Amino acid sequence: MHRSITKESFNFGGIRKYTKMKLSWRRKILGGLSLTTAAFIFQACYGTPQDMGLDIYITGQVRSGKTNNPVKGIKVSVTDKLQYEITDAEGKFSLYTETAEKYEIRFEDIDSSQNGIFAAKDTLLTGIDKTVYLNIVLEEN
Amino acid sequence: MLLLLRKKSFQRFKKIETRIHELNYLFWECTTRCNMRCIHCGSDCSQNSSYNDMPLTDFISALDTLKFKPDNFTVVLTGGEPLLRIDIEKCGREIRKHGARWSMVSNGYLYDRQKHISLLNAGLGALTLSLDGMKENHNWLRNSIDSFSKVDEAISLAVSSSRLNFDIVTCVNRRNINELTSICNYLIRKGVKAWRLFTINPSGRAKDNQELILTDLQFKELLDFISLKRKEKSIDIKFSCEGYVGRYELKVRDSFFFCRAGINIGSILIDGSISACPNIDRTFSQGNIYKDNFSEIWNNKYQLFRDRSWTKTGQCENCQEYPYCQGNGLHSHNANNRGVLICHNGKLEKALKE
Repeated sequence: MHRSITKESFNFGGIRKYTKMKLSWRRKILGGLSLTTAAFIFQACYGTPQDMGLDIYITGQVRSGKTNNPVKGIKVSVTDKLQYEITDAEGKFSLYTETAEKYEIRFEDIDSSQNGIFAAKDTLLTGIDKTVYLNIVLEEN
Repeated sequence: MLLLLRKKSFQRFKKIETRIHELNYLFWECTTRCNMRCIHCGSDCSQNSSYNDMPLTDFISALDTLKFKPDNFTVVLTGGEPLLRIDIEKCGREIRKHGARWSMVSNGYLYDRQKHISLLNAGLGALTLSLDGMKENHNWLRNSIDSFSKVDEAISLAVSSSRLNFDIVTCVNRRNINELTSICNYLIRKGVKAWRLFTINPSGRAKDNQELILTDLQFKELLDFISLKRKEKSIDIKFSCEGYVGRYELKVRDSFFFCRAGINIGSILIDGSISACPNIDRTFSQGNIYKDNFSEIWNNKYQLFRDRSWTKTGQCENCQEYPYCQGNGLHSHNANNRGVLICHNGKLEKALKE
């Protein structure tokens, strides 16, 4: 189906979109012909390498099974990683972690009886794309 | 013949890349405070910067003017020392929330285990740490007695994360040029995968210290070292993109020289100035986020970055390499435009004649 193209609707970064698409193809071909692997991945001289975005975002809230209240002070850790976070006053946590096929997330009470005493819980996550929200209920001991 | 085809293709590639000028890489000079007083510092940073750190909300407002961000768009936090900001994790999380990835350049002094964890949690994706020699020479350049042990710890933490795209940068000078092999072996032992080597520009505190500037022969020695180590493939070593090096181009890096400042690389500096790499003459700034729309400036200005013909003056005017070099890195120019401040290829050719 033919669609009319207006200059305004396709203005993109200073050049029109269809021109950009054409240029992008030529750019890919010429970059390939130069046989330089870094034609498309680069870093500024005083900058860092580019981030390849290989992570997912895990966020959620921990509540008490007995009272349904948020639980503060729970250590949320990604098994086999250094990473962990502690839930805040609203029982919330969030962290980015490396992309994997599966994730074992451990929830454990590390502040003794300060915010109640809860049994630890492990959760196995699979098939996560970019982000996941977890509602976790911990049982009080 | 093949090399010529590759060079010509890359020249055409550069022209198209310049015309598209997609912003992939945005420096944010989030602080100019620094916890070190390195003798080679190009930005003359100090503990008591005359500038306050830029408020996160000011940066995010500018970032949000970009309606489209390419998949590989990265915000690079730089300084000063970014880890001096107590809200750095919050900065990282907000940047991620607003559709960008983020990375950081650091001297590693404050990068301990707790900081490593909190930065990863906040979505840090790439990291560059500075190592300027083995213990004695690193501490000398960094002007600090314990900076080597601190960065050693930071390196151990960084390599432990396969999430981080991580590399080491080294500023090569007359003191550490003779210990490059030792540094290389040390990095391999630590498990570092990527190493970039620089020379030092005669700017900031470095401009009056000849001990920091390599002789022509030492510069060639550096490139020969990189070339040799690249053949060994024990570490991904490269010469930085600071300058064009003629016949050594593909021997010391993965791609032909291409200064992408203002083409794919932009910056928001501490005072709100909109520019490209932070080490470029600040009079080249194109606007200011406190009075201009960042996206509009990126799309419609930056002419002097995208048309480099003005650099064809002085020693560049009749140089046969100009089509490939295009006036070297833009940080090698200043507003006076009396020609290029450093010609890397010229240094190299002089050394080859000696």
